[in-house]
Amino acid sequence: MNYTLQFGQVTPYLWYLAGGAWIALQLAVVAFIIGWAIGLVCASITEYGPKPARIAVRSYVVFVLNTPLLVQIFFIYFALPDYGILLDSYDAVLIGLALNAGAYMSEIQRAGFRSIRREEIEAAETLGFTRVQSIRYVVVPHILKVLYPPLSNQFIIITMSTSIAAIFGVEELTGRAYNINSITFRSLEVFSISAVYYIVLTIVASTILYTVGRYFFRIKGSVF
Amino acid sequence: MPYLEIDNLSADYGKVPVLQDINLAVERGEIVSIIGPSGSGKSTLLRVLTGLLKPRAGSVAVAGEKLRYDSPKDLRRAREKFAIVFQQFNLFQNMTALRNVTIAPTIVQKRKAAEVEAEARALLEKVGLSHRIDAYPDEMSGGQQQRVAIARALALKPDILHLDEVTSALDPELVSEVLDTIRLLADDGMTMMIVSHEMGFVREVSSKVVFMADGRVVEVGPPEQIFDNPQTQRCTDFVSRILRH
Repeated sequence: MNYTLQFGQVTPYLWYLAGGAWIALQLAVVAFIIGWAIGLVCASITEYGPKPARIAVRSYVVFVLNTPLLVQIFFIYFALPDYGILLDSYDAVLIGLALNAGAYMSEIQRAGFRSIRREEIEAAETLGFTRVQSIRYVVVPHILKVLYPPLSNQFIIITMSTSIAAIFGVEELTGRAYNINSITFRSLEVFSISAVYYIVLTIVASTILYTVGRYFFRIKGSVF
Repeated sequence: MPYLEIDNLSADYGKVPVLQDINLAVERGEIVSIIGPSGSGKSTLLRVLTGLLKPRAGSVAVAGEKLRYDSPKDLRRAREKFAIVFQQFNLFQNMTALRNVTIAPTIVQKRKAAEVEAEARALLEKVGLSHRIDAYPDEMSGGQQQRVAIARALALKPDILHLDEVTSALDPELVSEVLDTIRLLADDGMTMMIVSHEMGFVREVSSKVVFMADGRVVEVGPPEQIFDNPQTQRCTDFVSRILRH
């Protein structure tokens, strides 16, 4: 194979790609926040809710966990218009990512609820804590600490998943890389540069997450 | 009049009766140890007294005043007067040793932080942990954690300290450091109710030993009586079985 790397043809597009990375990050952050909220509600209902609500929530979670993200977004983008729900591609991808993340984060947060230590709450009770005080000082800090690492992982996974948006014509990082590829045909250069952008994105995110984890939750770990 | 008076106290776990007609009096400064086979209700008695399990019948009186465990006000009073230390320490994992000790006086009694902290430091020094003040529970040995738990229980200045098998979860070489701490409290005249399997220790520190079986108090007496000259068959059997090895 005789292939000469010609990054020069791609370098004019570096800022264009950086803009795509910024859009990918926005998608990931918003999808994560919505997904986290959905997950919290679903986890609470699954663990403590009435039976009918529990069944509804479980159906959603099981359905999402057992179908591909791409199919879910196809459904939202192409099938929902049949029911009069017409979404532009960015919104469809965002909703798909959030609903998908919500199901995963429901399972993660359920594990957090399950890990509550009854004995610590009893100790708080005998020391005279009110119910609110034991939630505030004992339960919540414990759950946050348990949930922090898996939720951080989930955020990184969502960041990777945003690349699916390219299929729907959203011009995030992969979408823009695809555009440049069809102009320059320098596939190797274009996609390796976009890979570097993803790596930079996730390493920066991981470093921030680890620093926060170490400082606030005494979680030991490192990016590498 | 005894400081603590337990009168015909009964309690159930679901439908299973675990305490039946318990009668017991504890004077101020007394150290009452409760021994007996597992499942005899020893720990349950401490759980009822400290408000973790509602009694079904009977009464508890402190300094002549009845405590009603179904009244939130009385429950608060019980929790201020009675402190408990658990077998598994049950320290707050997200707090340092110092914070474990200061938190209850700060948020429950709403006392001044500086004053509480000075007292907590003194308490931790007393249990021999002034060098571990900033350590988290998962950084400490079981013996150290249990001593923090004792300091935490003392921080609210309770009238009675309940110790629920506090050495049972410890490695053998760590037992003595916790027992030494309890001896120190005994020397200070702290009123204690101790559930323990450390018979040598029980015999040494107790002013009174209670033998329980099947949720009932079977025999009460000074340690010499319970260990050397028990008056009931069940107590005789139990003592001969545990002293054999």
